[in-house]
This record gives sequence, C-alpha cells and structure tokens, in this order.
Amino acid sequence: MATTTATITLSSTDLLSDNMQLSNTMTLYKDGTTATGLEQLNYHRAVVPTGTQFDLIQDSAALSEDASYVYICLKNTDVTDYVKISINTEEIGRLYAGDWLFMPWDNDLTDTEDAQSAQGNDSSIEIEAFTHDAVVEYMLFHNGETLLTADDVA
Amino acid sequence: MATTTATITLASSDIADNAIQISNTSTLYTAGTDTGISETTGLGRKKFASSSNIVLLDGGLTSGIAADVTADKSAKVYIKNMNDRGDGTKYVNILLAAVEIGRLYGGDWMFIPWCAASGKDIEFTASDTTETTLEYTCFYE
Repeated sequence: MATTTATITLSSTDLLSDNMQLSNTMTLYKDGTTATGLEQLNYHRAVVPTGTQFDLIQDSAALSEDASYVYICLKNTDVTDYVKISINTEEIGRLYAGDWLFMPWDNDLTDTEDAQSAQGNDSSIEIEAFTHDAVVEYMLFHNGETLLTADDVA
Repeated sequence: MATTTATITLASSDIADNAIQISNTSTLYTAGTDTGISETTGLGRKKFASSSNIVLLDGGLTSGIAADVTADKSAKVYIKNMNDRGDGTKYVNILLAAVEIGRLYGGDWMFIPWCAASGKDIEFTASDTTETTLEYTCFYE
C-alpha cells in the first residue's frame, strides 16, 4: 500500500477581526479499510479550448461505490479566465485563475455513455473554459479503473 | 479587501517510483478580479444522526446568513467529516442538488468552488445513522 496525504491550510489575517488559520491533513485510504492507502493515480496537464464542455475525468464502472479523490488546478494567470466544473447536469462551480479544488469523487450515476462517445448521463467530471483557453493540471487518486479493451480497426 | 489563502499539499513517498509533492496556494478573489473575497459564513459545526438527505448550504436563499451566496461567482466551500475513520465503511455522501459528488470518510475534507445559484444546494447523506459531525465554511462575495 501507499501512503498519500492531502493537507489544506486556510488562512487570513484580515478577513475576520482576528487571525484565521485552519489546517487539516488526511490520508487517502481505500473504501472499507482502516489503513490501506490508495495505490493508483493519474496526473495530467492539459489545455482546454474555450467554447465546448469536455469530459476531463472519465468515469468507469470500477470507480463506482469506492473512494476516489480529484485535484484540479487552473494554471492560467489572467484573473478573468475561469473554468466551470460540472458533474452530469450540475455545475459544481467556477475555478478562476490560480484556483484549485480537491474533492472526493464517486461514480454514482448509471453510465449511459458509449465508450467512444460523450453522449449520455454519467458521473464524468466535466470542464468548460471561458475567456481564454485553460491550462489545467489534474489528478485522480483511485482504486482501479476499468480499462477499455483495445479495438483497433485494421 | 481581505487576503485569504488556500494552500494544498499532496504528498506521497511511495505511490510511484519517485516521491510526489504538489503544492499550490490560491488567493480567494472575487469573480474575475484581484480583489479579495471579504465575506464568509464563518466556521460551522453540525452534528446529526440520520441517514436522510440534509441540506448543508442552501443555494439561492432570499434571506438568512447565506442569502448573499446567490450567484455563480467565486464562492468556495470547505467541508470536513470530523468522525474517526472507524472501520472505513462509514461515510457521508456529498451531493450538489441531486447529484452525488463523492464520499467523505471519517477524517476526510474537501474544498470546492460553489455555483450557489438557486437550487444548487450542497447536501449530504450519511451512510447510516451513526452520529456524524461535519465542519464547514463558505467564502463568498
């Protein structure tokens, strides 16, 4: 097993009348275990063009009912640039330049997509860039994906 | 304006052949500007012992503390499941409206942007009726 930790620190000296500092560290464990860490990850960097919503992280049957964690960071520097992050028909929210998110992810919806198509309802994490093309770095920590069987056409 | 920062560090010495350490700090700005976010719901803590669906943050309210969190701007939400991990089978499902985002097991936290428009409530459903404690806060404009 692997030991992977995620630490967050939220801090401000002037948002409230006194200093605020909140810090927490979690270890990324497998579902149903007390101390067995996730052992697989995907780490990507991509340029997302404006004008179209894309599947950023594709769901798969093996990611259902399990413990997976997603990190996404928008690396743009123009403060007017942003991306919308969605699951299915629900927009989670906007990441502006420099923003990041870290969240659990569960492939909860029945996937009606064809493996070669983005049509249909599913739990894929979707992204759409606004203002300028978006440079995103993203990671998925997971317990195994369903790999597609190779289907080349000779 | 206020300066509020959110820093994440992801680290592992053995998930890959080489150690990984990824760290990023974002300053929480209002939408499309470099002006710091100046409002927060404050840090809240909620205990519950139910497996029913419960609204944690009510998007698009017309009154109350979160009434200003009404638009798809740059709000950010932090949630932590304060329970012990236990046997690793108990968790809280976090949902946006009716769509499940993922599971927070005991000790897990999340930090996400929040659309916050009408009907875009952040909800949770516990895996059973064991008493669960959540801490949460929202930064917004």
